[in-house]
Amino acid sequence: MTSTLVRQAQEWSVFKAAVVKECIHDILREQLSGVQYDPDEVGVLSRSLADCIKDKLKDVGFDRYKLVVQVVIGEQRGEGVKMAARCFWDADTDSYAQDIFMNDSLFCVAAAFGSYFY
Amino acid sequence: MPTDKKITKEDTWKSDDLRRHIRGGGHDEESSGSRRRDDERRHRTGESVERRHRDPEREARREREKNRERDGTRERTKPRDTDKDRHQDRRKDDSRDRMGEKEERDKERSRAQDRVIKGTENVKYRNGDRDSRDKMHDRKEKENRDRERVKARERDTERTRERERDELRKSDRDKEKEKNKESETGERDRERKSDRDRKRNEERAEGGRDRDREHDREKRDRHKEREYLKETERYKDRSQKDKERKERHTDKEHSGQKEEREYREQHRKEKEERERRHKERAQHDTGESRRHDGESREVESERVHRERKGSDREREGKRDKHRERRHREEAGPERDPTERTSAKKSSSSSDLRVHKDKTEPVKTKVEIAEAPAEDCGYDEAQDYEEDFEDYEEDFEDVDDSEGEDEKQTRSHEEREAREEISSQRREEIEAIQRAMDEENERVGSAQPRLSTEEDDRPKRSRDSETPQSKVSQHGRFMDFVAAKHREVSKKVASKQKKRSTELLRLIDLDYSITFSLLDLPPVNEYDMYIKNFGTTNTKQAYVQCNEDNTDRDIQTEEIEMSEKWTQHPAERNVCCGGPKLSHEASDESVTKLSIDSQRLATFLRSASQVVAVLLEEDRAEKQSLKKLRTQADTLSFSDGCLQLNTKLPFLYGRQISLVQFSQVQRQTMLSVHNPSAKPSAVRLDSKTIICIWNIWEPSRPQKILVYESEVQCCCFSPGKATLVFAGTSVGSVVLWDLREHASAHYTLRIGENDWTLRHPTFSTDAVLAASGHMSSVSSVEAVPATVAEGLRPELPLLASDEESSGLSFQLASLDGNGVLNLWVVLELPKANDAGSHTDLGLRPGGKVKLLHSSTVLTTSERSSTRDAKKTTLLQTLLLKFLPSDSNHFFIGTNMGLVNHGTSHGLKAPPKFYRPQVVGFRPVDVASIDFSPFGEPIFLVGCGDGSVRLHTVLSEQPLMEWTSSTAGQPVVSVQWAQTRPTVFCVLDAASCLHIWDLLEKDFEPVITEKIDADRVTAMAVFGDPAKQNTYSGISLATQSGKIEMQYFSKRLTVPESADLEKLQIMMQEAF
Repeated sequence: MTSTLVRQAQEWSVFKAAVVKECIHDILREQLSGVQYDPDEVGVLSRSLADCIKDKLKDVGFDRYKLVVQVVIGEQRGEGVKMAARCFWDADTDSYAQDIFMNDSLFCVAAAFGSYFY
Repeated sequence: MPTDKKITKEDTWKSDDLRRHIRGGGHDEESSGSRRRDDERRHRTGESVERRHRDPEREARREREKNRERDGTRERTKPRDTDKDRHQDRRKDDSRDRMGEKEERDKERSRAQDRVIKGTENVKYRNGDRDSRDKMHDRKEKENRDRERVKARERDTERTRERERDELRKSDRDKEKEKNKESETGERDRERKSDRDRKRNEERAEGGRDRDREHDREKRDRHKEREYLKETERYKDRSQKDKERKERHTDKEHSGQKEEREYREQHRKEKEERERRHKERAQHDTGESRRHDGESREVESERVHRERKGSDREREGKRDKHRERRHREEAGPERDPTERTSAKKSSSSSDLRVHKDKTEPVKTKVEIAEAPAEDCGYDEAQDYEEDFEDYEEDFEDVDDSEGEDEKQTRSHEEREAREEISSQRREEIEAIQRAMDEENERVGSAQPRLSTEEDDRPKRSRDSETPQSKVSQHGRFMDFVAAKHREVSKKVASKQKKRSTELLRLIDLDYSITFSLLDLPPVNEYDMYIKNFGTTNTKQAYVQCNEDNTDRDIQTEEIEMSEKWTQHPAERNVCCGGPKLSHEASDESVTKLSIDSQRLATFLRSASQVVAVLLEEDRAEKQSLKKLRTQADTLSFSDGCLQLNTKLPFLYGRQISLVQFSQVQRQTMLSVHNPSAKPSAVRLDSKTIICIWNIWEPSRPQKILVYESEVQCCCFSPGKATLVFAGTSVGSVVLWDLREHASAHYTLRIGENDWTLRHPTFSTDAVLAASGHMSSVSSVEAVPATVAEGLRPELPLLASDEESSGLSFQLASLDGNGVLNLWVVLELPKANDAGSHTDLGLRPGGKVKLLHSSTVLTTSERSSTRDAKKTTLLQTLLLKFLPSDSNHFFIGTNMGLVNHGTSHGLKAPPKFYRPQVVGFRPVDVASIDFSPFGEPIFLVGCGDGSVRLHTVLSEQPLMEWTSSTAGQPVVSVQWAQTRPTVFCVLDAASCLHIWDLLEKDFEPVITEKIDADRVTAMAVFGDPAKQNTYSGISLATQSGKIEMQYFSKRLTVPESADLEKLQIMMQEAF
């Protein structure tokens, strides 16, 4: 039964991490290349990035997924940064994709979590 | 008739339900203390009461309307029927309730049932309880009601008046809707006060009633519900008040039924109309919003819609909130006195509602059934809604008066008076409410559009007169549509819930591993530095690299100096040098120079020879062709002739004593020019000159060798013609190294040409006197040192080997006394320009020298053994080695004999070779020549003119020709190089005899007398390997000319029979 569910899930557009990662990557590169860190703008920027990614993913068509997009932008100052995520989910269907963009002044971590919606 | 139907249905249901519930209630009472009931009670106290107090108002309103209808249309048949029915119902109720007043209450219950079955049940049941159990309370109520009835009668009169007024005002109503709300606020305040009054009055009564009615159970409940008590009481008060009002109405009904009937009839018609409309609207909720005229309406309806929605959304759990809000709205008017409590209790009451909601599914059917009835109410409300504004002005007036009244009146009388007034208003107010409800409903459908006005809603709801009742009514209104929704959505919800539970069972939810989204290690200081100053880094790097320094280092090195000298033209072989040759620059230059000069010199030497030869050949051919024509007739055997240019100043007047070709380099020829007797311009008269020619280059000699004394004999080195050996009349053996550079020799300039005169490289003159020859050297012959048997030394292959492996041959020299000296030819690895101290015979710069190896006395041996007398005169004149075995040598003597000797003491069978004539004669052996084709035969030419052909093996000659030269002494005998059977004989008379044994073995084929000049020497040349090339004979004359005569074809082209002939001759000999 579980396997059929999974199959069913696969018939729908499965949350393909690679595809999503590519989407995220494209968007990040598109919108962040050459951007310098500005604490005033970064809030808006991260929000718009998250929306952008979300919209893009919807366009790609993960119809049966609830999507959560998290975008974190930080300044590159030489400090170490560690980010981790932990999910309580159904590992068979749910997945996430994440991509990092870095330039001289900032780093941006965008993670998209897809939870299958039965 | 919808109204009929509804009412009857309600009634029937109500009665049944009532009974059932009464029974259930009784049962519950019996099992008192059960928790469930407590809960129920809680609902009841909270909810049902609320409902009750909501519903009664509406009911009262409807009652009034009915009354009106009755009043108005009592005579009409249809209404009457309905009325009758209703009355019958009422009568039933009456009979059941025992009390006349109860009729209203029942009706009220029946209407309240729509939503709050239990509430109504409770009421009834409570009523029943009250009725049955508590007579005291009943009595009190009765008293109250009696009182109220009295008041109601008074009010009735007022109401009739009011209605008249209503009809008058109807035209104005529409305009006054807005103001109406303001008046409502006033009225609400008024009501609050009246409520408070009532509460005060009734609390007392109720307190007793409760106590009486619910002896133990109620008390317990009350303890639990104490929190809610105030609220409950409030509701109860309301309901109480409503009841009272209804009682009034009933009174009124009794008194003015006709009036009411008329009204009812009218309204019924209206209802039917509106009902239809309403249904349409219900179907097209969204469309309805278009009809809205006023803002207020929309706002109100929006709220209603919300409430309705709330009921719809009960499944979704939002219901609580809405309810709560509704409750608050309901409680709004009453907040002043019980604000805190209501606020406190709102949460709990909402809880109760939740519970109640659970019971709702049961009710839904009823609600659906009753929906039409609700619609009636709704229609009425709609009807009134239009009249709303007309009332406005009046309300304001009345409100003021009422407000005053309320303040003044605390007693019953005063209150009654106020109620009379308010009852009149209430109708209007209720109508307004209904209208508002309807509006709400409409707007509710359009709610999404009006979201901006939501903010106003709470305020307005508070403004509205009796929100709580409204809400309850809305609930009823919406039930028809909402019920479906609810049912459907509930199904869906349950489905979903089921599904979710099933799914949850199947799906494993687990904690994922912790994904590392970003791990950015801290940058160390250096990287940070580089990062920050990365752009300027290039500059720093440039500074650090400091490439200039290295350059400077190089520049600061010392300049090396060295002294050099150079000289031109170069003396000897050194053209430059220095006292201290520095290691780098000068060495390089030296080596460069040496490399260049040496290699270039060798290359040029060889190359120039080739080029010169080619040029000479070209020129010589032209010349010879001319000469051929001129001299062709002179020599019959000749195919042509070529004359070497001996007309050189230093050769002038010299006789050529010897001509010889190299065995290997067959184009190389030497000619020995004896010193001339005549003095010449050049001071070389006393010296012998040896010219080395290349026969292809006849214009000038290749090298010119000079020796002080007369040269008796001469020979080339075996192999390549690099060395020339000569035996002199003074008994010395000399050699010339032709490889020596011209610069090392003295150059004589004669005329326009430079002539390099080479002195011997090595000479045994006086150096090796002890081991040297005591007499003149008669013959020198090169002895191949390592010639194996059967191998011919003249083989070019061998020669080249010899050349490469250095000099590997010995030289044999024979003097007239029979002393045979063997010399080892040594090549020094390095020339010493300064000359050798130990070897004085070596010329400075020379590299080749002779070392004495051994001496063989050939004559002494014989003299001792054979006849000593004869040998005293014996002279050894000629030395030849067997070409196939250098251990065997043949010496020609002056006795016509050829001695045979071996170098290492071996004994060979014939000791000598003699002529066929027996006995010794003093005849010189002039010439010995071995066949160049490998046959062990040799020719001997003697001074008496005889020519013998000997084989090595035999003492006797194979052939002997004694008379071929006509007695002239033979000067030279030589085999032709290309034909084995041809040989030439030159006699002293300058006659050349050419023999061809194949053709004639008794006389020469050609005898040619050269008259012009006496031929003093002869040499045959030609390459046996290349028959068709020039082969011929060189003739040296007394005058010093050298002629190259080319043999004609018949003498040069070999024939197969040649060798056979020789073989036959050899066999014949044995």
